[in-house]
Amino acid sequence: MADVDDGTSAPAEPMDLVRLCLDEIVFVKLRGDRELKGRLHAYDGHCNLVLGDVEETIYVVEEDEDEEEVIRTIHKKSEMLFVRGDSVVLISPQGGS
Amino acid sequence: MLFFSFFKTLVDQEVTVELKNDILLRGTLKSVDQYLNIKLDQISVVDELKYPHLSSVKNVFIRGSVVRYVHLPGNAVDTALLEDATRREAANSGGKAK
Amino acid sequence: MENGNTTQAEGKDPSAFLSQIIGNSVTVKLNSGVIYKGELQSVDGYMNLALEKCEEHIDGAKKRCYGDAFLRGNNVMYISAD
Repeated sequence: MADVDDGTSAPAEPMDLVRLCLDEIVFVKLRGDRELKGRLHAYDGHCNLVLGDVEETIYVVEEDEDEEEVIRTIHKKSEMLFVRGDSVVLISPQGGS
Repeated sequence: MLFFSFFKTLVDQEVTVELKNDILLRGTLKSVDQYLNIKLDQISVVDELKYPHLSSVKNVFIRGSVVRYVHLPGNAVDTALLEDATRREAANSGGKAK
Repeated sequence: MENGNTTQAEGKDPSAFLSQIIGNSVTVKLNSGVIYKGELQSVDGYMNLALEKCEEHIDGAKKRCYGDAFLRGNNVMYISAD
């Protein structure tokens, strides 16, 4: 990549998409069947993130009485959260539908 | 460098570190390094069940790579400042890791 | 501008293939088995991807749609041009 970026160029690389999400609500998919929704306040090249007013959803597979697999969801809230980049799988503006 | 600097501003704050093995450690952030390794003092119990044997430990050094989240006090973070710093860093490095 | 008249990316390196298919519809499979289909907006050296009109398929079932999606490169198993 020879382009010396002035930081305001057209969406040339994927990280630019994340830059456009700053101060916006983002949906983040993480390893281990976890999802986050919150306002993006910071990120870096490793996908380390800081999110505000976060809602976390965790999907857990459990067996019910009949040994049937059921998916249970756990919801947690956090006012400010640092997320380590190596857990990140996907980042999307707004949140999935 | 952004998050290293960010965590340095949070020294002496009460934080909760969530590890990738689901253990939760609450304590005072004492120091950070460039790998985002973390030193916590005055550890307290967060989750009775998931906190079986560490209850006698007073301070810990946590390797950055085992961290999943760090829960932070909302009022300790100047979000506008942080967003500006993020834009500046993105402009310098093109958003790339060094 | 290459002198050969092979169809551009042919015989060059894999990242040339990736830049070749920017703007195309692609299928991306992650190591977790989850599949994303969408229009490839951009790629970088880590194989981080930006997909437009992105559909998520888990176990063959369509799960979600994202207008835009950033995928972290380390999770990518393959990228295929549709």
